[in-house]
Amino acid sequence: MDVIACTRLTKRFGATVAVDRLDLRVGAGQVYGFLGPNGAGKTTTIRMLLGLIAPTGGAIELLGGRLPDPRLTARTGSMIEEPAFYPWLTGRQNLQVLAATSGGVPAQEIGRVLGLTGLSGAASRKVRTYSQGMRQRLGIAAAMLGRPPLLIIDEPTNGLDPSGIRDIRELLRELAGDGTTIFLSSHLLAEVEQVCDRVAVIVRGRLVDEGPPAGLGVIRRQVRVVVDPADAGTAARLLDRWPAERQPGGAGHELLVRHDSGRDVNAALVAGGIIAESVIVEQPRLEDRFLELTAEEEIRHDLADAG
Amino acid sequence: MTSLMRAEFRKLARPLVWGSVLAVAGFCVLLTWGAANNARDGLARPRIPDVCGHAATAQCRHVIAQAHAAARAAAAATSTLAQPGEIGHVAAGMLASLPGLLLIALVAGGHWGGEWGLRTIRQLLSRQGHRGLVLTAKWLTIWCAGVAAMLSCWVVLMLAGPLIAAGAGLPAAHGGLWAGLGSSAAAAGRAALVLGLFATVATAAGTVGRGQLATTAITAGVFVLALLLAGIASVGRISPALFVQAWMGFPANGYLPTSFWSRSAGSGQPIGQLAGLAWMSVTAAIAGLLARWRFAADVTA
Repeated sequence: MDVIACTRLTKRFGATVAVDRLDLRVGAGQVYGFLGPNGAGKTTTIRMLLGLIAPTGGAIELLGGRLPDPRLTARTGSMIEEPAFYPWLTGRQNLQVLAATSGGVPAQEIGRVLGLTGLSGAASRKVRTYSQGMRQRLGIAAAMLGRPPLLIIDEPTNGLDPSGIRDIRELLRELAGDGTTIFLSSHLLAEVEQVCDRVAVIVRGRLVDEGPPAGLGVIRRQVRVVVDPADAGTAARLLDRWPAERQPGGAGHELLVRHDSGRDVNAALVAGGIIAESVIVEQPRLEDRFLELTAEEEIRHDLADAG
Repeated sequence: MTSLMRAEFRKLARPLVWGSVLAVAGFCVLLTWGAANNARDGLARPRIPDVCGHAATAQCRHVIAQAHAAARAAAAATSTLAQPGEIGHVAAGMLASLPGLLLIALVAGGHWGGEWGLRTIRQLLSRQGHRGLVLTAKWLTIWCAGVAAMLSCWVVLMLAGPLIAAGAGLPAAHGGLWAGLGSSAAAAGRAALVLGLFATVATAAGTVGRGQLATTAITAGVFVLALLLAGIASVGRISPALFVQAWMGFPANGYLPTSFWSRSAGSGQPIGQLAGLAWMSVTAAIAGLLARWRFAADVTA
């Protein structure tokens, strides 16, 4: 069953299209990454999922029901951007207030989420005295209150130290293991690579790629070729059937060829009488792929504007 | 709804609200103390025209006697109003006029507009998506803060009023405690409805201003504008300030000021008390509809 299903979801603010016919499917128990540059429409999408803003077009199904339905959004744990709390209340009181807002939870549930996020010792302190990392932990604790079947979390490790980041990632994996579906928006691509089962990339409000993190990289492998500096010109000519670029700092003898077969590249070099120092097939990291997709979409958009 | 109200009351317990209630109660005590001192000074130095200062004419003797009588009447009235039963009129009048309006504007700014300022509105609405319930809970808590402030003022004045009157050497007051309490309770009931109107406008102001300062400014600004309008003959009859004036029956003048309203709203355009209530209800309904309409819009805080 899809826990989140967006069909041609669209949001316009005046003439600006923030989200453009977005189709998303998030299955139960998945950790689903949601990536995009600033202004891509990630937060707007999340706000629509939580019923804070109304879509201009399309439909959202959440937890098996169609939005808008306050009962469905109340069953969703969320943390949007920087978590916000009432600074004159303690951490525990903030959680009590949030729990009561949605109908209440057993008293021990608040202790449980404070313990999971390592905040038991600071629960009686006013939130105004919390560090950014502690607020972030409290935001995650608030999202987990009442064991919601779906968590929608924006930048969960902002402001956390390395051990805190590790703890939160482990916690997210544990939650996913228990069957909680997690929709994770993040600009930390390494985080998404490590934590997520599937990833959607959104640029200018449009979905430009979707799949397992490793799958996104496999689509465009590349071959790194190192040749003797004296052979650099010949090698470049032999490989000019594929897009290639000389690598800066490589003294002119290192080429990056946009092709997914090292065998093809090596065969072309050998046929031209060049023996390479090394031919390495690289799987670009998600970060590289993400930047590439973003750039492609920007160019496509600029061309559309020019046309 | 019970659980939501519990959450809202928990949020309401904050220094801003305590401070505002304390300030209003302190203001009421200061006002009573000032009025008692004025009455004492009036007894000691009645307002006698200069021309009668040395003249011993029959006319002057009459004027002087009248001045002494007026000073004694003022002192007796002030002393009576300062007694535990009657002093509820002061608390009700203050909370149903500018001090109460300011209190509601400040509380609404922090409690409702602040949800946008702190960006906690996102958490609130994602956990409680029934926006009508959220609006109702906010209105109810703001109104409760106003009523609680009125009752606090009353209790403080019940203790302080007799001491202030005795300290100023005012004549002993006559009149039954229970009759005074009944009369004060009726005034407090009327004031509670005015506080309901203030709270409704403040709730609507929160949905329009979407920030602490904006909510406070819009709430106070609406009624200050209404007070100014009430003083203009051509449009005064449609001013909510006049509706409040008619419903509360604020006197244009009094020995101990029982409101900060009538001097601004004027008294030259009378409408009946029930008409005042009816038009207050219409004003509140319009504000309520505005709040529902504005709060249905996207929340992008």
